[in-house]
Amino acid sequence: MNSGIDLQGSFIEYLTNFGLPQGAAKAVWMPLPMLLVITAAAVGLLVTVWLERKISAAAQQRIGPEYAGPLGVLQPLADGLKLIFKEDVVPNKTDNWLFTLGPVIVVIPIFLSYILIPFGQNLVITNVGTGIFLWVALSSIAPIGLLMSGYASNNKYSLLGGLRAAAQSISYEIPLALSVLAIVMMSNSLSTLDIVEQQSGYGILGWNIWRQPIGFLIFWIAALAECERLPFDLPEAEEELVAGYQTEYAGMKFGLFYVSSYVNLVLSALLVAVLYLGGWESPLPVDRLAGLLGVSETTPWLQVITATIGITLTVLKAYFLVFLAVLLRWTLPRVRIDQLLNLGWKFLLPVSLVNLLLTAALKLSFPAAFGG
Amino acid sequence: MFQFIKQVGDYAKETIQAAKFIGQGLSVTFDHMRRRPVTVQYPYEKLIPSERYRGRIHFEFDKCISCEVCVRVCPINLPVVDYEYDKTSKKKKLKHYSIDFGVCIFCGNCVEYCPTNCISMTEEYELASYDRHELNYDNVAMGRLPYKVTNDPMVTPLREFAYLPKGVMEPHDLPAGSQRPGQRPEEAASK
Repeated sequence: MNSGIDLQGSFIEYLTNFGLPQGAAKAVWMPLPMLLVITAAAVGLLVTVWLERKISAAAQQRIGPEYAGPLGVLQPLADGLKLIFKEDVVPNKTDNWLFTLGPVIVVIPIFLSYILIPFGQNLVITNVGTGIFLWVALSSIAPIGLLMSGYASNNKYSLLGGLRAAAQSISYEIPLALSVLAIVMMSNSLSTLDIVEQQSGYGILGWNIWRQPIGFLIFWIAALAECERLPFDLPEAEEELVAGYQTEYAGMKFGLFYVSSYVNLVLSALLVAVLYLGGWESPLPVDRLAGLLGVSETTPWLQVITATIGITLTVLKAYFLVFLAVLLRWTLPRVRIDQLLNLGWKFLLPVSLVNLLLTAALKLSFPAAFGG
Repeated sequence: MFQFIKQVGDYAKETIQAAKFIGQGLSVTFDHMRRRPVTVQYPYEKLIPSERYRGRIHFEFDKCISCEVCVRVCPINLPVVDYEYDKTSKKKKLKHYSIDFGVCIFCGNCVEYCPTNCISMTEEYELASYDRHELNYDNVAMGRLPYKVTNDPMVTPLREFAYLPKGVMEPHDLPAGSQRPGQRPEEAASK
């Protein structure tokens, strides 16, 4: 397998040619991917907000944002600016530290999780060996933040909202982790790169969704619940509650919750794309086509093209899932809290366990197809 | 044992059914994507009020005979009729007339019962003001005619649902000369 574009390697080599020591060159390189991730996540957030508003409008035969920029693309930017410049209201007798820390704790792990998303063979910030496990661990930090902000608000309804949000996150984390476990079992690795690698070679037929259809559904349902998206958005429940745990928040602290929910949605969509829809792999295997045309895999222009296709495809797959989430939002009514917990504990958990056992059995009986 | 298997089977059947219904719902919402928005982009577009629209009341000062029928038929006796009995001509002479549109419910009873037809309903509905006392219209304010939507160069007038040709649901880009189904009032009157 060729390694594709190695941006880090060539960047460091370029700098060392100028006489910089190896370590210094690496230090210059290091902030670049971090900045890139934050920018990419922020842009992804803006795009998602815009898409959500536009798709919601289309589903309701409205027009949606139209006057801020062409087709209203600047509307999320305007929303964000408004939130930044809004007065930061802190209610009386709140725990100031925890009140501020809450949204921060919710946001940081989500942004941190972006380091695991591969957009190509070398287009990933870190290839952590425990990749997907790290994501599961990071995503379970968020409920602490929610609980913290609910508790620190000095408002019993905020506290109740925080408790409900935490209960929801915790109960859906288990089916989520179990469906991820089935994938991990098949690819014999926790690394996101290896998971995509294992799906490559056969184009669309090699993707995990064909081998893990139940897992795919469970993961998507649980991810929606983790992101508090509409069929499961009880903690916020715009139409019924004031706002749940974020009732007392205003300005950018409220904005951080907003940011975290959308960034988390994009992150979940990206992870579904990576775990089940073959990550950066295209529906037709590009390297095979190149081999048929007699172009070497190491040709620079081919590498640039495959990298571009890879990034585009990952983003496209993720945004297809975001579209699905928005469509689901206007299709399904909100579940009650008892229905939510029933679905989580009595349906998703046993089904994901069965799915795990089934995967194990299939792996033992057909090691060739299920990554023995 | 069989009981248990039956239960599992029923549960699976229910789950599949639920998934099917969700799929149907999704196809409905997806179908809405390709439909054209029905929203009227107020204030750039406005609907043309129907001919029987009950908007702000118009008052003709010279026609009024100060009979106060409007006050009697009004559910809350809202119109204020200020007149003086002129002994020489033995007629009531109207001095002021006013209706507070902040209180009026636009029922149209006064219009219905006015013996001289000096009050009528207009198509004006944009009565917003910064002070509720500004809604208390006197005879001068009520004597003004509203600006018609169709004459406003800033506004694209749109026809209401009942005024569209048969089978058309969309007021945008109607072909010129298209008419609503049924007879027009003048056609009905000429028969």
